[in-house]
Amino acid sequence: MQPYELSLTAAADAIRARRLSPVELVDSVLDRIEKVEPGLGAYVTVAAEQARRAAGEAEHEVAQGRYRGPLHGIPMGLKDLIDVSGMATTASSRVRAGHRAAADSTVAARLGEAGAILLGKTHTHEFAFGLTTPQTRNAWDRGRVAGGSSGGSAVAVASGTATFALGTDTGGSIRVPAALNGVVGLKPTYGLVPRHGVTSLSWSLDHVGPVTRTVEDAALVLTALAGHDPRDPASLSVPAADYRPGAGTDLTGLRIGLPRTYYFDHVHPQVETAVRHAIGQLEALGAQLVEVDIPMTRYIQATQWGLMVPEAGAYHEGSLRTVPELYQEDVRILLEASELMSAGDYVRAQRSRTLMRAEWARTLEAVDVIAAPSVPMPAVGADEETVTWPDGTVESVSDAYVRLSAPANITGIPALTVPVGHDSAGMPIGMQLLGRPLGEPTLLRVGHAYEQTRPARALGGQKQSVQFNELA
Amino acid sequence: MSAAALTPPEAARWAARAGLVLPAERHAAVAAVANHIHGVVTVLRELDFADVPPAAAYRAGEAGEAGEEKRDAAV
Repeated sequence: MQPYELSLTAAADAIRARRLSPVELVDSVLDRIEKVEPGLGAYVTVAAEQARRAAGEAEHEVAQGRYRGPLHGIPMGLKDLIDVSGMATTASSRVRAGHRAAADSTVAARLGEAGAILLGKTHTHEFAFGLTTPQTRNAWDRGRVAGGSSGGSAVAVASGTATFALGTDTGGSIRVPAALNGVVGLKPTYGLVPRHGVTSLSWSLDHVGPVTRTVEDAALVLTALAGHDPRDPASLSVPAADYRPGAGTDLTGLRIGLPRTYYFDHVHPQVETAVRHAIGQLEALGAQLVEVDIPMTRYIQATQWGLMVPEAGAYHEGSLRTVPELYQEDVRILLEASELMSAGDYVRAQRSRTLMRAEWARTLEAVDVIAAPSVPMPAVGADEETVTWPDGTVESVSDAYVRLSAPANITGIPALTVPVGHDSAGMPIGMQLLGRPLGEPTLLRVGHAYEQTRPARALGGQKQSVQFNELA
Repeated sequence: MSAAALTPPEAARWAARAGLVLPAERHAAVAAVANHIHGVVTVLRELDFADVPPAAAYRAGEAGEAGEEKRDAAV
């Protein structure tokens, strides 16, 4: 087994025990990038020399007994909406040509302080306004979409070209690509992870979070990211916490909500089978299943669009007037049309959100976690624009991929996607766990317990199963 | 097309009122997308909001904290 194949947790254990040096790990991942990145297109920029220098310094620190913690010497990718001092934040857009960030975003600074090593910036659907990331190919099948908008981050983690990565999630942009590439993605509670220095798509819906190979890895990254920052007006004042889940898998006493409505409607049958099987595994671990009705389902898409479209239009108001031709057509036309929405549309969406938050809070009084599919269907072919459901309903691919993610963005509740299997074509399937505000410890506990019931997962595109947890 | 749908010239005029001049060749496409978005969000008019405030209502004590920070944007 090669170091690039290790989970973050296993790599951290090996570095702490000095069985693996940060230089070996970073070199292994950079070699992997050289080999597979040309066919995947996950990265906008790879800062190889900078990463090698940082790895040397990290190795020196470990040798001197200055171990910073589990992210020490771990190579990562950052979605290219996240500012890193001195580097361009391109947002995968020509609009940002010549950009140079003057300072680190809060998350880049916190990860740097924790000892993580930046490999490079990963592709996003332009300005995060889309669900496919067309520059990037799926880690399991290069003819299929990566998912988006954090497609580069998910593909990098799934293909071994980053040990972990950060994404952003406004309507599923962490969970969708994570699910489509067979990795773990966490959209934390709104305000738990500061967004200062991260390019916005929609201020009231944006979140930053980890994309990793295991749930435990996500917990380690969240521990480094969470915490108040007054420069993000939505940032929550919560005490520092260690999110690493315990080793136990007993879920006795935990109530898991099984949606009777919405989350299994217009869902691919193989996705439904895999997710229901995974929920059965949770029951076998002792959890009690409780059927729940999802509130206000008729208004989810309207609320998501009523918030996101005008906020995105406001963010881009200036450049849409000066350099409209530099946007990709799919993004440009949405921004132009956003200017024709009324203030009434936006305020109604904000009032609907008030109602929806209250209804979801009531639903989550009856259960600790809701378990559901992450996305309705696995990764589609790169040229497919719509999906037709058995009842004849035609849905755009983007609408389908947002559909099951949007409730957690509107309400701000945390949501975790965990791989639960593959369809008959070998494409990954994800289960989504949704919790109460600041319920990350419960989500991570459930997700981690589920993972212990499964054999180790393979990296994307590799035929043989790879053990993430040990060096050869 | 419903009575509320914008025609391409109307879309261009509404955009101009918002300060956005659309090239003529974009009027039809922008009108189509704007009408689609309108069709999605208009369903919210069914809700009885009574006295429910928008979720963006803020807490003044917390606003001061953020306001004390130096902002990058010129105002």
